[in-house]
Amino acid sequence: MKFKQFTRLKQFKTVTFIFSAALSSAFLTHAAQAKTIAITNATVYTVASQGILSHATVIIENDIITAINPEHVDVDETIEANGRILTPGFIGSMNALGLVEVGAVARTRDGRDKKANITFDASLAFNPKSTLIAYSRKGGITDNIVAPSGGEGLFAGQTFAANLSGNFNSIITKQNAVLVYLGAESKGSRAQKLQALDHRFADIQEKLDKKTDKDEKPAKTLKRDEKVIKTLLSGEKPLLAYADRATDLLALLALKQKYNLDLVLVSASDAVLIADKIAAENVPVIISSIDNLPSSFDSLHGDLSNMATLTAAGVKVILAPKGDSHNLNQLRFDAGIAVANGLAKTDALSAVTANVADVFKLNSGRISVGKKANLVLWSADPFELSSKVDLMWINGKPVSTQSRQDALRERYTSQSDLPRAYSK
Amino acid sequence: MQSLSVRLSLIMATMSLSLTACLPSEKQDAIVNINKNPFPSTYQALPQQNTLFTNATVLTGIGQRLDNADVLIVDGKITQVGIDIVAADVVTIDAQGKWLTPGIIDVHSHLGVYPSPSVESHSDGNEMTEPNTAEVWAEHSVWPQDPGFQAARAGGITTLQILPGSANLFGGRGVTLRNVPSETMQGMKFIEAPYGLKMACGENPKRVYGGRKQQPSTRMGNVAGYRAAWAAATEYKRAWDMYNSDYAAGKNPQPPTRDLELDTLMGVLDGEIRIHNHCYKAEEMAVMMDLAKEFNYNSGTFHHGIEAYKIADKLGENGNCVAMWPDWWGFKMEAYDMVEENVAIVDAAKNSCAIVHSDSNTTIQRLNQEAGKVMYRANDNGFDLKPEDAIKWITFNAAKSLGISHKTGSLAQGKNADLVLWNSNPFSVYAQAEQVFIDGAKVYDRHDEKYQAKSDFLLGQE
Repeated sequence: MKFKQFTRLKQFKTVTFIFSAALSSAFLTHAAQAKTIAITNATVYTVASQGILSHATVIIENDIITAINPEHVDVDETIEANGRILTPGFIGSMNALGLVEVGAVARTRDGRDKKANITFDASLAFNPKSTLIAYSRKGGITDNIVAPSGGEGLFAGQTFAANLSGNFNSIITKQNAVLVYLGAESKGSRAQKLQALDHRFADIQEKLDKKTDKDEKPAKTLKRDEKVIKTLLSGEKPLLAYADRATDLLALLALKQKYNLDLVLVSASDAVLIADKIAAENVPVIISSIDNLPSSFDSLHGDLSNMATLTAAGVKVILAPKGDSHNLNQLRFDAGIAVANGLAKTDALSAVTANVADVFKLNSGRISVGKKANLVLWSADPFELSSKVDLMWINGKPVSTQSRQDALRERYTSQSDLPRAYSK
Repeated sequence: MQSLSVRLSLIMATMSLSLTACLPSEKQDAIVNINKNPFPSTYQALPQQNTLFTNATVLTGIGQRLDNADVLIVDGKITQVGIDIVAADVVTIDAQGKWLTPGIIDVHSHLGVYPSPSVESHSDGNEMTEPNTAEVWAEHSVWPQDPGFQAARAGGITTLQILPGSANLFGGRGVTLRNVPSETMQGMKFIEAPYGLKMACGENPKRVYGGRKQQPSTRMGNVAGYRAAWAAATEYKRAWDMYNSDYAAGKNPQPPTRDLELDTLMGVLDGEIRIHNHCYKAEEMAVMMDLAKEFNYNSGTFHHGIEAYKIADKLGENGNCVAMWPDWWGFKMEAYDMVEENVAIVDAAKNSCAIVHSDSNTTIQRLNQEAGKVMYRANDNGFDLKPEDAIKWITFNAAKSLGISHKTGSLAQGKNADLVLWNSNPFSVYAQAEQVFIDGAKVYDRHDEKYQAKSDFLLGQE
């Protein structure tokens, strides 16, 4: 039986290969010429006011969605969806995609530097050709918020947004939010950082206020790092604060009120204990759906239902698995696990699309007119283990979901008289 | 068993004494035996209930799928699997629309030895003090109050092997546990399950010891370390064999000096302890196979075999089990060549024994989904795998690796009544274990708080 299975594999493989080769070459020629694409007869999850549309048509012109269900369709290329689900491309966040190739190989890691401070712009190190990026596309991820892990100072640098096209112009926005890690310390007290944060804001605020009093232009005399603090105090940039214990989260909410910050809580294991307060302050929470164990004394209230609880309380939730860049493509399964534990499917979809776009001010994450055409056509339910990406577009251009992993599999499942190294 | 072998050797000793009565005989000291089970299991099944599951979709773990089938468990054993079973004096559970599988088995866990919360005081999984610590036993580090055991049970885990970490060439003995709440490790210990010995190839040992400027700092240093240890173990075994045969011959030999490290290695050479070898790469697995032949032991199960697909046929021919993740990769160089179909490719080889393992307190809660991902990705790429195939990667094959497949890992007459009732196809992302049974006792019920155990650690926390 096993042998038969393997033989069947060979036969099928040839067919798939020819099919996908034909498909991709068709795409390439069309993509070069095509200005407009219609995706017809799709079940469209707009994650916008239109909700879910059946048998819908979405028109892409260059890199933008220009129409949904137009009266007349006159396009260069039509994709028949046959009722399949079309969603906005998923948006990953808070990982090191493009900043790491092999975790334990130091010279492939660019997310951390001793000297990294609040001005740290890791987007300079982003590698769109990293093998992690093609692999992540298998999970329907079109955009990502990359987070450096900082240095020895109070702030860990700034995040940036990139698309997963694999092109050299993948960066969408540089330095779009400031990172700070708070909470339990192996050497020292958590109080110190909270206090330092407060003092830092107070000092710069004072400086800004003073200058204004004397009618001087403040920005000119501010140092580089102080200018960044100013963007936090003006609400121009979000402050992404990693913290878990409720007391830390409350301290951050107090800082938000005091300095009028655009605060986003990250990790936030205890957020469920103060969900109403977080909702009342309109503070979004970036959280994992699978961290249900009490991994530290800061996170004794982890539960698989936490995303559902926060959403029910009115908190805007973003789903981001902790730390993992290599398996970012699992994001959709983590969303499924949240659904299995009480989160509505539409809310889970928002947590990996529109909510991320809102917090990081991206023009994607929804299917509506004027949005970037970052789209995924799924074989079936995007959160299911059994489904896969059938077609995918970034900036209106079709992208492949083939990765180095497929090349290795092909090499080791095809027959050859020569050693495998000759199969390419 | 222990007492039987002691008795046998006493009888043999008496016989040889009488046969050699006319020869000048030495006065014999009491025979010295190594107690192979000094920390015996005290496990007892929880309150059992004779139960008939009706109309379930049953995956037997040994290749069959039975639709609308019944399973009867009596006195902790599976007594019948079939259609329209009739039984008196049993609790009947209507499993219409639900799926029934063997209890899930994880061959690679560090629950209890790297527990939650992860505090230094409880970090007891890696004795990183010398490259060969075959003398340490993971069971002596197990904290039974690790909340991870409860979470794993809610995911259908009924049996799991707790292994030491992979810093050392020989990390120490692993222990197989029943996933029941207990105040002691012994209360969880799987009765008569053989011990495992954790070995590690590749990057970890050479990094840990190379970083200290000591051997091994290279992969060739790793292999030299294994060979030196097996050579010493061979001598040790010879000394004990000679002692025993001399004693049986009526002599009064000096017993060899006990060496706990070599006791464990001798257990492997005697076929009593199974090798569980952390080994990612194809070329290293091939070396480990030859190493085992050189010293005449079974190379056992390769764990984390990221590159097993490159030598799938060889692994089958050699009779190795391989425990794998579906898709973890890239955290170090030896994990770079991952393919999502690894498990399926290994499984397709003749005489294969493919296993999906967790090595994680998170994914152990969803080993069914881990196996599901392999099945679907493989089917996307030309395989034709079905739920009845995928389930064996986390049940029967895992039991085979641990040497307990005659007791658990399948839904078949006479096997322990370890089973999981799922609310739907277990290979769905939305599937949840509804009820979990170990030896015919309900140990978890998603809808009944009475059967949801809580660790001491979490009790009373605000």
